[in-house]
Amino acid sequence: MMESARHCIRKTKIFMDTIVDIQVVYAANWSEADVTIQIERAFDSFRLVENTCSRFEPSSELMRLCAQIGMAVPVSPILFEPLKFAVEIAAYTDGVFDPAIGRKMELQGFDRNYVSGERMNHIVDDSASYRDILIDEVNRMVTLKRSMVLDLGAVAKGFAIDLASVHLQEFEGFIVNAGGDLYVGGSDVEGNPWRIGIQHPLHEDEWIDEVELLDMAICTSGGYERKSERDADAHHIIHVKTGVSPTEVISCSVIAPFAMLADGCSTALMLLGMEKRKEFIEEMGVKVMLLSPDLDVLTIGDDPDVV
Amino acid sequence: MAKVNVKWALMCSAAIAAIYASGYYATINQAPKDGQVLVFQNGNQQYKNGTFYGVGSNRRGSIQVAVTIQNDQIVNVEIVDFRMHYSIRDVVGKPEEVVKRQSANVSNVSGATYSIRAFHDSVVNALNQATRS
Repeated sequence: MMESARHCIRKTKIFMDTIVDIQVVYAANWSEADVTIQIERAFDSFRLVENTCSRFEPSSELMRLCAQIGMAVPVSPILFEPLKFAVEIAAYTDGVFDPAIGRKMELQGFDRNYVSGERMNHIVDDSASYRDILIDEVNRMVTLKRSMVLDLGAVAKGFAIDLASVHLQEFEGFIVNAGGDLYVGGSDVEGNPWRIGIQHPLHEDEWIDEVELLDMAICTSGGYERKSERDADAHHIIHVKTGVSPTEVISCSVIAPFAMLADGCSTALMLLGMEKRKEFIEEMGVKVMLLSPDLDVLTIGDDPDVV
Repeated sequence: MAKVNVKWALMCSAAIAAIYASGYYATINQAPKDGQVLVFQNGNQQYKNGTFYGVGSNRRGSIQVAVTIQNDQIVNVEIVDFRMHYSIRDVVGKPEEVVKRQSANVSNVSGATYSIRAFHDSVVNALNQATRS
């Protein structure tokens, strides 16, 4: 039996204020040591993206970029790519989704560096938008026209998952799970498709639904995980224009071939109204599971039975 | 597979390629890693080098950690097993904090007393095993 030849290694670390859990299923031709090296490389992707894109670390490339107003700054690919992607989604949603929202997040109390405990309070006004971010694709430079705090929270984790997954492609199967946002490759230790549960928003140990995934990412955004300390009704997804958190959808899970796409879409979909939502899902070509306040699961996107 | 709008998926694959296909990854990979460049005070090594496992448990469950020590520095703390009756989110950030503070004493989190205590005990347990006799 092929199945008996499969082994599994699982490692868990903390990055980006999140538990990052990597499972690898490998065949007997791999040594445990070599598998572990690849897993460490996958973890390094998270370390790299966090050190580069964190708005909680004054020395991060992102915060150094924020300190330079009105000039074209050469930017490393680790920052350039997720920023460009976030600005594209911002443009497509007409600013409903906006990576210039960092200052508003700080004001809502999402201002604490989880490692040092230090609180962030940047002296910038909070009216900048994605339109003040100019991306020069040819020279890979970024110009910020106004002072702002960039927030790549909606795409950077997904990007790190995608980068980590590259190191694990050769194995029989793997999961890179960063706090419930994950990419699934190959099959599980028995050779079956991975089955992924979707967390019940109220009961920690329950699943509200389950999906089978192959070479796909699934990312869930919801207001139930991170609440604001300052406003009981506010959570970590904030509408730029109204400054409040959406409540008509409890959580939104997006299935896509890339975690950065799934991650960005899930946040954007929490913010978009129902009428815009459908069009957005069609444009992105993703599969979406929305959870209403009365806990009904609504599946949108082509071919509900696939993936 | 669901059909994905080529534009958005292409942007994602181009983003990955920008890191790995451009040679950029090879350059950054040689740089020293952040958080691991720490200086220690005395020449007499207090701890053995290596990875040591520690368990902390109380009536609400148990946590197992792997603490890696190099030249008396705590360079990595990993949660190997988490069996508390509370969410693992309670101890999120704590392994990093141990590395930064170089000590098992981590800041408390409200409502997570048992998890934090078990986490603290597991790190102390691992350090005890690493201590030179």
